[in-house]
Amino acid sequence: MSMISVRDLRKTFPIKRHRSGMKGSIASLFRPEYEGEFAAVKGISFEVARGEIVGYIGPNGAGKSTTIKMLTGILVPTSGDATVAGLVPWEKRKQLAQKIGVVFGQRTQLWWDLALIESLELLKHLYRVPEARFQENLATATELLGLGDFLQTPVRQLSLGQRMRGDLAASLLHDPEILYLDEPTIGLDIVAKAAIRDFLQTLNRERQTTVLLTTHDLDDIEQLCARIMVIDHGEVMFDGELNALKSRWGGRRQLIVDFASDPDADIGSISNGALEVTQIDGPRVTIAFDRDAISAPDVLGRAGAFGEVRDMSLQEPEIEDVIRRMYEGSVPIRT
Amino acid sequence: MRMYYELAKRSFQQQFAYRAATLAGLFTNSVFGVLLSSVYLALFWDQPANASVGGFTAAQTVTYTWIGQALIMPVIFWGWFLITNTIRDGTVVMDMLKPMDFFLYWYSRDLGRGAAQIITRAIPTLTIGSILFDLVWPESWQRWAAFLISVPFAITVSFCLRFMFNLWGFWMLDHRGISSLIIVMTGVFSGHLLPVSWYPPWAQNLINVLPFRSMLMTPVELWLGQVSIAQGLGMQVFWSLVMIGCCYVLLHYAERKVVVQGG
Amino acid sequence: MDRPITFREELRIAGRIASIRLRGQMAYRASFLLQIFSNFLINTAEILALFAMFYRFDTMGGWTLSEVALLHGISMVAFSIGDMLTIGMDNVAPQIRSGEFDRVLTRPLSSWMNAATSEFNLRHLGQLVQGVIILGFALSRVDIAWSIDKALVLALAMISGIALFMALFTVEAIFSFWTVNGVEAINAFTYGGSDLVQFPLHIYGRTLRFLFLYVIPAGFITYYPALYLLDKPDPLGMPDWFVLLGTPITVLFCLVTAWGWNQGIRHYRSTGS
Repeated sequence: MSMISVRDLRKTFPIKRHRSGMKGSIASLFRPEYEGEFAAVKGISFEVARGEIVGYIGPNGAGKSTTIKMLTGILVPTSGDATVAGLVPWEKRKQLAQKIGVVFGQRTQLWWDLALIESLELLKHLYRVPEARFQENLATATELLGLGDFLQTPVRQLSLGQRMRGDLAASLLHDPEILYLDEPTIGLDIVAKAAIRDFLQTLNRERQTTVLLTTHDLDDIEQLCARIMVIDHGEVMFDGELNALKSRWGGRRQLIVDFASDPDADIGSISNGALEVTQIDGPRVTIAFDRDAISAPDVLGRAGAFGEVRDMSLQEPEIEDVIRRMYEGSVPIRT
Repeated sequence: MRMYYELAKRSFQQQFAYRAATLAGLFTNSVFGVLLSSVYLALFWDQPANASVGGFTAAQTVTYTWIGQALIMPVIFWGWFLITNTIRDGTVVMDMLKPMDFFLYWYSRDLGRGAAQIITRAIPTLTIGSILFDLVWPESWQRWAAFLISVPFAITVSFCLRFMFNLWGFWMLDHRGISSLIIVMTGVFSGHLLPVSWYPPWAQNLINVLPFRSMLMTPVELWLGQVSIAQGLGMQVFWSLVMIGCCYVLLHYAERKVVVQGG
Repeated sequence: MDRPITFREELRIAGRIASIRLRGQMAYRASFLLQIFSNFLINTAEILALFAMFYRFDTMGGWTLSEVALLHGISMVAFSIGDMLTIGMDNVAPQIRSGEFDRVLTRPLSSWMNAATSEFNLRHLGQLVQGVIILGFALSRVDIAWSIDKALVLALAMISGIALFMALFTVEAIFSFWTVNGVEAINAFTYGGSDLVQFPLHIYGRTLRFLFLYVIPAGFITYYPALYLLDKPDPLGMPDWFVLLGTPITVLFCLVTAWGWNQGIRHYRSTGS
């Protein structure tokens, strides 16, 4: 069953013309003029099945947030259809809110002047969570996210990592079927990031919660998402498995060769269609190569002709690299 | 001195950026001007024609109303917490360490702001008032001049008052109580709420020995010819000097507190 | 919970939220009391002005102090309760500017209820107390031949007044869905409106009278009920049944406001972030 189903979803914003002068500003107040449209999302379609964790990535202004906002009912699309948990978000916003959890990394849904536990209790009323269920969820979240230390602390005194964990617990009190996470690990330290990722994995495994995750942190993606969608300029550029993305855009592995002394200067001449010397740094030479065209031992054999090899290491393509290349439009580019 | 002139100039120019807010403000001032004028005129319904109550005829009361509305923004009769905010976020310490006079820094900026709002708020408000109602105009060019000179002094007294209650932020964490008290006192004692001469004599005696009336009542009296030019302006100069002196005394203690306790 | 939420449930939830919010504020007792005190002080000035005016003058537009105080009392009580119930509306414009309004739309309450209750405090308690005192003062000094219909008129005026001010504060928020600039002009209608109807309506010119009867029906909240209570003929020459118009016109005003609010929500662009 599709948890999220999106058909040709589109959102355009009119761009207001800025008129100058006192007269212009009076006129703008009453009758704004528009000088064009900005298409934030240009007709995207996709399906997400129950229990999937999907990474939704793309550069700033690509249309990620606009999509998420339409799928939560915050924004009404210009055209297109979508159903989330069987509901059209912008028509059944209230009902949908009961079935989704939303975490905006940079904003909190907790109340600044209340203790964390009081905020959670407020949300219990707001979402009509039965007391027993609330206690159960609170206990789980407290255990997995380690909330115990700061349940009684006013939210404004929490560290960013503590607040984020609190927010996550808050968004799950009502057992949402879908969780939207917008930059959940932004600005957090490694320990907090790990705690949050573990928690999300557990949640997904045990409750089959569907997760749609936007992030700039590619470690989040590597560790959490089997499937990713890349969006840019309001269009879906890629939708598929992480590995497929890597092999399609990031086929090049890197061999780093350490010579005993500086190798012959003309080592660069071994570059051809299958491999490329990308960096020469004293005795250390980096060679990028296409995994389908040539094997690592072959590359090493060719490099060995230019000096005595002391050590070597092989690097798999990094997702960051892959995404960057996609954005650049991209066949291999020398860096 | 050059730097303070530049500061004043910059905040003067800044004011012209908020066009929509200016229009909205003018609208609000005008609505309240019409409202209050109607209320005051209604008080005179059962009075004989040309009756003067506490030295104010009906037309003079209406004029007083519109001057009051016109000066709301230049002189500022209520909340202003710019310095309090810098105390809260800590930038005040940086400001105090800069090689400049902390009082003059804020004073010059406030004068620049006030000057701009005379143009964007006071003059348009008075113009609207004079279109809608029959206002009484100053009877000689000397009166005009005296009124125009009195406005910067009104801003000065108001600024000193705001400066001082903002500096309270160094000693008191919650400034809401004291600022509401100051706002109410300003409204009543400056004559913004009602002409001072309408209050009972004991209240007038109190108000006449306080600085607040320099903010509005004295300019109005100079306009309407209810006080001699020398006396009106003399009182304003006197209060401006006294208030500036008080500001420096308070500033001295505030700076010492910053130096000793690090803010 | 799959069952759609009912209006009564929403009200109950809003009430619970308000009480928890209030408890949070009371934890800082000094600050809490100071806030009420500040508001009390500022409204004191308004009352002071009323009494000072009648220190010098005997009547205003032919009405005595007690009669004008009746208008003050009704307006202050309605305004303070209406404002208390919609304090969250003050936050809508800044929330839209910062993008925080997104949060209001991800909760399972109606967007209006959620926005109105996004904050709750008792800062207007002072004003309410003063309004009740002024109302008491006026009722004890004017000569009213009480009857059931007069009591009914007063009660309806209060209820309509509360609804009207709630709607007016909502209108202010509605404008901010389209423009973040110049929304403060609406203050002329909210604060201006509550001030204006504290005085007899016949002292104003034709434009203001028209505006505050037929565009914003605030005049129906204080003036016509007061005329009826005091058995005064309408100097503007309207028939007796005019006093009955207040409630239906307020209902109409609220319906238009509700429609406007929904339009605003649909237009929300969520630009901040």
